[in-house]
Amino acid sequence: MRLRQSVIPVLLCMLVAGLPAFESNAAEEQTLSAVAKPVAAPAFELTDIDGQPKKLADYLGKVVVLNFWATWCPPCRYEMPSMQRGWENVRDEDIVFLGVNVGEDEDTVFLFFADYPVDFPLLLDKDAKVIEQYPVTGLPTTYIIDPQGRITHRAVGGRAWDDDSLLDRLRALKSLEE
Amino acid sequence: MLAIMQRIQTINACFKIVVVCAVALSAYSAQAEVTTGIDADAGLPYWELREAGLSIRLVQRHPDQTRAFFLARGFSREDVELIAQSCVFQTIVRNTAPVTSSDTLEYDLTAWRVQVAGASQAMQNRESWAQIWAAREIAKPARIAFEWALLPTRQRYNPGDYNWGMSVFGLRPDSHFDLALSWSRSGKPYSAVIREIHCAADVPPKEEAQ
Repeated sequence: MRLRQSVIPVLLCMLVAGLPAFESNAAEEQTLSAVAKPVAAPAFELTDIDGQPKKLADYLGKVVVLNFWATWCPPCRYEMPSMQRGWENVRDEDIVFLGVNVGEDEDTVFLFFADYPVDFPLLLDKDAKVIEQYPVTGLPTTYIIDPQGRITHRAVGGRAWDDDSLLDRLRALKSLEE
Repeated sequence: MLAIMQRIQTINACFKIVVVCAVALSAYSAQAEVTTGIDADAGLPYWELREAGLSIRLVQRHPDQTRAFFLARGFSREDVELIAQSCVFQTIVRNTAPVTSSDTLEYDLTAWRVQVAGASQAMQNRESWAQIWAAREIAKPARIAFEWALLPTRQRYNPGDYNWGMSVFGLRPDSHFDLALSWSRSGKPYSAVIREIHCAADVPPKEEAQ
């Protein structure tokens, strides 16, 4: 009885003291931060790894997931397979993933995709001119652009882009337009 | 009567639990927790500060790792030595606030101080290195890689946001230092000191092989 009396308070304290840790872990959930006031996404034209030109304006009317990344960036590498899976889930729903590689050449990116195969468009921002137009300070950073071409959300750091709730938020942006 | 006494004892026990838990929780939230160990990915020592809504982990980088990284990105051997001999850490900063909160986390590396033997100095950041690279006429691809590889000088994170980046402390390999750092959470300022951080030694390959 005495043992139970002494053990129960300790267990209760451990449970209560563990709550902040649980809250911290909750931050691992996939977040997209809404921007306070959606602004027009800066226009750009870049070539993909096959040398084909692509404009952001080509994707008006679609939700665009615009991801700035580099091959040497660990969280960029971690999130890339989930971007491919997310893209496979929504590619028929007018939701587009665009990867913008910062400062590297075709050969480097091509070698990278031997290990991390993706088939959504990958664009090369070799001289970092495009990333400078966006308020990016660290890689990876991802912007969500609505069908009207406005930046509505931002994610700093990697995410699990195949997460159902995250994909539902992209779908919601698309359905707002319809 | 016995039943009343038992109930009073139960209430008394519950009160004690609440008091003990309150004391434990207030200590948890008032003191930044610094832990050290070996980073599972890098296999090198780390120092990690955890506070409400914040985690910062500094992972040692061996000078040879830094040499290899920047040689592969267009720097000359001479320029690479400038970086490799400057005490570089891989740094992960994360807003750990609950995702349901709107707590923003902000920092400014120019306010952080590197303390060694009673003296203190600023960290080296993207802007200070940009001046060095401009003077040395480093090619643009190398400068781009360097800029984006470093931890942002200033950053604002929403819950769930984080960055990885190198931080450079401007000390010789094998140095020890304290880092006085500051940040704000939803506009409220905080500060802490991580003590006895150790820059990786620049072990020559021959010694490493032994």
